[in-house]
Amino acid sequence: MIPVRAYFRLFAKYLRPYRRKASLLAIVLFATIALQLANPQLIAEFIDRATEGAEVGELVPLAVAFMVIAIVHQVLLVWATYLAEQVGWSATNQLRADLADHILHLDMGFHKANSPGELIERIDGDVTALSNFFSSMAIKVVGNGLLVVGIIILLWAESWVVGLAITVFTGLTFLGLVRLHGVTVPWHKAIRATSAEMFGFIGEQVDGREDVEANGATAFMVNRFDRIQHKWLPEVVRGWTGWALMWSASMGLYFFSLMIAFVLGAYLFGIGTLTLGSVYLVFQYIGMAHRPIEEIREQLVDLQKAGASIERVEDLFATESRLVQRDERLLPDGPLRLSFEHVTFSYDDEAGDERVLTDVSFDVAPGRVVGLLGRTGSGKSTIARLVTRLYEPQHGAVLVGGIPTWDIQLDDLRKRVAMVTQDVQLFRASIRDNLTFFDDSISDARLEEAIHRLELDEWLSSLPDGLDTMLESGSGGLSAGQAQLLAFTRVFLRDPGVVVLDEASSRLDPSTEALIETAVDHLLENRTAILIAHRLATVARADDIIILDGGRVIEQGDRVALAADPGSVFSHLLVAGMEEALA
Amino acid sequence: MTERRTPSIAQVLWKLMRNQPIRYGFALVVWTLIWAMPVLVGLVIAYFFDELASGIEVDTVVLVVVATLAYAIARTVMIFLGMRNHASLLFRAASTMRRNLLLRLYELPGAETLDETPGELVSRFRDDVDHIVEPFDLTVDLAGASVAGVVAFTILFSIDPVITLVISLPVAVVALVANRTGGLVRRYRRHAREATEAITGYLGETFSATQSIKVAGAEETMLLRFQDLNDVRKDMMVRDRTLTETMYAVYRNTINIGTGLILLMAAGRLAATGDAGISIGQFALFVFLLEYVSDAAYFVGVFIARAKQGSVSVDRLTKSLRGEPWSRAFAKTDLHLDGAPPQPEISERSTDPFRSLRVHGLTYHYPGSVNGIEDVDLEIRAGEFVVVTGRIGSGKTTLLRAILGLLPAESGSIVWNDAAVDDPESSMVPPRSAYTPQVPKLFSMTLEDNLVLGDTVPKHLVDESIYIATMQRDIDQMPEGLETMVGPRGVRLSGGQVQRSAGARMLTREPQLLVLDDVSSALDVETEQIMWTRLFNARRDITALVVSHRHAALARADRVIVMHDGRVAATGSAEELQESSERFRAIWEGVLQPVSGR
Repeated sequence: MIPVRAYFRLFAKYLRPYRRKASLLAIVLFATIALQLANPQLIAEFIDRATEGAEVGELVPLAVAFMVIAIVHQVLLVWATYLAEQVGWSATNQLRADLADHILHLDMGFHKANSPGELIERIDGDVTALSNFFSSMAIKVVGNGLLVVGIIILLWAESWVVGLAITVFTGLTFLGLVRLHGVTVPWHKAIRATSAEMFGFIGEQVDGREDVEANGATAFMVNRFDRIQHKWLPEVVRGWTGWALMWSASMGLYFFSLMIAFVLGAYLFGIGTLTLGSVYLVFQYIGMAHRPIEEIREQLVDLQKAGASIERVEDLFATESRLVQRDERLLPDGPLRLSFEHVTFSYDDEAGDERVLTDVSFDVAPGRVVGLLGRTGSGKSTIARLVTRLYEPQHGAVLVGGIPTWDIQLDDLRKRVAMVTQDVQLFRASIRDNLTFFDDSISDARLEEAIHRLELDEWLSSLPDGLDTMLESGSGGLSAGQAQLLAFTRVFLRDPGVVVLDEASSRLDPSTEALIETAVDHLLENRTAILIAHRLATVARADDIIILDGGRVIEQGDRVALAADPGSVFSHLLVAGMEEALA
Repeated sequence: MTERRTPSIAQVLWKLMRNQPIRYGFALVVWTLIWAMPVLVGLVIAYFFDELASGIEVDTVVLVVVATLAYAIARTVMIFLGMRNHASLLFRAASTMRRNLLLRLYELPGAETLDETPGELVSRFRDDVDHIVEPFDLTVDLAGASVAGVVAFTILFSIDPVITLVISLPVAVVALVANRTGGLVRRYRRHAREATEAITGYLGETFSATQSIKVAGAEETMLLRFQDLNDVRKDMMVRDRTLTETMYAVYRNTINIGTGLILLMAAGRLAATGDAGISIGQFALFVFLLEYVSDAAYFVGVFIARAKQGSVSVDRLTKSLRGEPWSRAFAKTDLHLDGAPPQPEISERSTDPFRSLRVHGLTYHYPGSVNGIEDVDLEIRAGEFVVVTGRIGSGKTTLLRAILGLLPAESGSIVWNDAAVDDPESSMVPPRSAYTPQVPKLFSMTLEDNLVLGDTVPKHLVDESIYIATMQRDIDQMPEGLETMVGPRGVRLSGGQVQRSAGARMLTREPQLLVLDDVSSALDVETEQIMWTRLFNARRDITALVVSHRHAALARADRVIVMHDGRVAATGSAEELQESSERFRAIWEGVLQPVSGR
């Protein structure tokens, strides 16, 4: 039921560096429990002495000791919390980093199947549940567990009869609470499910206001809202009844203990086994016992939740990248040859009929520029993703510099083959960090040199704070054209041998357009390039043309020759436009 | 009574109480009893100890045990009654706010940009409502704790005024300290939350950009940055939790120190019987009741903090009403919680045949921008197929939205048949018109519900709509056909399937005017062609206003309207425009259309 073993299996590795802090935590925790148990003894002693008529001078030290112990106990408790949080967060931060590292190195197929939101939940949601698990495990469950055991032992020490009675009742109550818990868990699950349904509904309404309003469906949607509420209310009432049950059960423990204490206290005091102070001590301990039991029960809920998190974390670690490395060869310097040999590819291995590319072959000599044309879904972007080895073909081979991509060391391939997509991803960070991907080792001088060589100095000086200009996430407050300029600089910094360029399709303002033209000229100098073109003007830069349709190459050849041939698809396309020519 | 724009939290709580006077009154009584009852336990224990010290009788023990049992039963009953009533009370308060907000949301023009992001708006419905319900909930506890505190204080004061006043001192100090450090607690909490948001934000950006990161080989540097953010969050979290624990420790220490003070002052005066100083029973009572006095003080602190948080949420909700008086959000409304909610009313099919729609001088600008439409004239007669075309950003979608009231026009008139349409948002709906936006949205319910939207539509009409929208094959392949659940908890439809479903949805209502924004992002040329052919074969008299730049639509159009920079640049048939409009030729001849990557 409680995944303690799985938890420690996972964390043995992550807790090891914090062994000393963890041991200290254990010691502090023991001390707090000892002090908590000691204090009622002082009161009992005080009462016994006072009722026996002791002097004030004899009693005052006891009272002072009581206060000191109480304060020290609280201070230690704060310390224990601090230590538990420190150890918990340090260990889980390492786990988060390892998990993020693992996920980032998984293939794109995995990333396509898992949304960023889901991955955030895996890395931060699940691991944070584990982190809370650690601190609550240490403080609440172990601490409270020891406290209850301590109380029972001390009650036995006062009188075995009282000890036995309280032990039996505490045990029964705890079992009862766990039972009740099992009954009420589905109740709360139902509430959460309906809650998710309700706010899912609200989210959709916010998102689809236009559809609802313009199609006269507001009354219908309000009715759906009412229906969800109508289902939700009884669930909520039942859920609260569940809490009432729990509350009553732990209250029951207290009152039964109280009644036992009344009867046994009166009897044992009457026959002289217990002193007045001891009877009072029993009442104090009883008062102390029900709260930790309640807390342990509450923690059980979290512990079960943590179990699911552990499972998901372990599953993630067990997931392996589908890209298999066969050799670790390095690429030569300078522009690289690029070839596709009978490449057939589909994004989903199982669905064989959803082929994106079928038997695609072409060859680009070092330093040549190829213009890639085709309508949406014809496979242009897929070719780019195969060149950069984000995916691997099911059949055939992609060769860079004459070497199959799976034989090239991945870091080296990524260094030498660059890609600029039309939606440039930006981070909520400075321009500098956006250019370097947070790599501090790249100096400003290097950045400025790259910018200068792309003739983008003017662009840099137009930014309010230069390299320190902060971007917002998403489009970053940059226009599509400016974002492309930033992406060019990213690529230029790495001096690749192959560049794949997916042209921005949105309209650009003329000044940015001119900057881009110049920058592309520099970017393509002495490099092999694939241009995915959305505008005919762009293709003018290409030496060769490849036209894709339905995942097949339907035409390839020298641009000038194709344009001159009136029977070619390309010349038809120059006249009619892409959509209609290929429709 | 003129209402202030933003009410105080007290005004809101008072309004919520008056909405449910009986439930709230009941809650107040029950919870006050639940809070105050334990004072009785203290008295019983005190009685027991005094009797014990002076030689207890068996009868007394029986009496004490029976009293305890009776008490336990009474309290259990109270708890059950209180909890059930409370669940309903709070649920209804929250539902009222949520329903009012939803109704207000539908009143706003559907395409108008709101100040809040969609995520923030959902958070208004969920978190802000909860944050207002919380202090509402606590008013009951506050009342109960106060009564319990006052009763306990009075009892103690009657036993020994000096001790009572002295032990009240640390309680007062803590209340003061809690009030003072509240700001610090909130600041630490905020920092911790911000650090967490920085991490989730960073992870979100990272995994949205996985492709760029991989292509750039930047995995390692991205991870280093992640670790830095994690370290910052760790410090913030440890600080926040430690401070919280410290605050609790201080609070708990007031009880301890109070108990210590009782011990000190009772030293020498504590006797077996109460004549000379304090009896053992009175001592026990002091220690027992001290907790109630300090709990009451503590609750005042909690309530103040929650009320502050609540008033922030009240501000936000009031803002989301956008101009409506604040009481709109909290006004009593029929929640249909007792008995099944009635079926929604659906508009009748119209009997007045459509003759024409005339738009004159329609103008709208996006807030703080010169973009929009300017002085647009347009006429559509029954049976016409009118296509609006133009480059990206020329105002095509804006025009449709302004006609449908999804954007509030600044000036201009809309005339349906011969009657002016004053509130297009509520009248440009079925049976007059239906609309498919450029990126249509479906909802988490069955496909059939999505298509008919609560209307009773004959089967053949549903089938016909599906056929026209070329959705038949997709539905046949779905495991449960029309009963298939759509959305995250059901089947995720592709972009094209959503577009075609929305097309069918528009057709099931048999509107007199179809309004359809660009379908080219989700439908290929062939499919669009088939759709038009089927539509005009099946519904010969249909009138349609469509945005498109494809030949399939342009060639069929009775009239094409070319938009440019928010104005009508040219009007005519495709043939005429090929002669007369250069702008139209540029569109017709197609240049490469914007293409989104796969």
